Amino acid sequence: MKDKDEFLKQMESLQVPQVDPAKHQQMVKMAIMNAGRSATLGVWLIVVPCYFLLCVCMYYYFHVHTTWFGALFQLIISLDKTPGFDFMAPVVLFVLPIIAIVINSLAITHFQFNGANKVKEFNITIKIKFLNILLILISLLIIGVFISFSMVQNISISN
Amino acid sequence: MKLNWFTRKGLIYWPASIIGWVILVLAAAYAVYTFIDIDSRSHSGSDTMINFVFNLLIIGLVYTTVAYFTEARQQIHRHDDE
Repeated sequence: MKDKDEFLKQMESLQVPQVDPAKHQQMVKMAIMNAGRSATLGVWLIVVPCYFLLCVCMYYYFHVHTTWFGALFQLIISLDKTPGFDFMAPVVLFVLPIIAIVINSLAITHFQFNGANKVKEFNITIKIKFLNILLILISLLIIGVFISFSMVQNISISN
Repeated sequence: MKLNWFTRKGLIYWPASIIGWVILVLAAAYAVYTFIDIDSRSHSGSDTMINFVFNLLIIGLVYTTVAYFTEARQQIHRHDDE
């Protein structure tokens, strides 16, 4: 009988783990965008500038006396001459990769602010999603190509 | 407002309703029209293909963007999706 009472007391004094549903909701909300959806749109945002750069590479390969930037310059000039397509080069080589970087970064980055403790913490977590990271890297490469092209063009015009 | 026009399988959006199918058919018809239009003005086969592929990719981008915003959402999302 005594053992039973002790057992009941022990059972009553057990600390049950508490799950705070509000906190759990907050964690779920931190996933700003879906990684799969972002990757799908990101692929299409990257394919167009990649195709453009592939055309530049082909132009460079088949024209012996031109430089790589010369080939890029020629193709952008030809786009500028096409009616309705004169704004396409910056859009294709700069705006689309920027959008791809933003949506893929939001898909793999999680922010968490913990202000309850004495030391307030702001945690940034990056999920290892290879497709999203690959798309971000390719987008950065395309933007780098466009920025370096713009710099070379400005320097050559000023000289 | 929930629009369940498309569903995603891998990296491609497929129509999930009549409106989705209409958009897909319109995109395909416009792609065919651009091919005929470019082919009538181009000087060679490669000229046609280079310009057509560029237009085709832009049509695909617009189609995917429309599908992205009108995708059928699942009710329960796991935190660690896909």
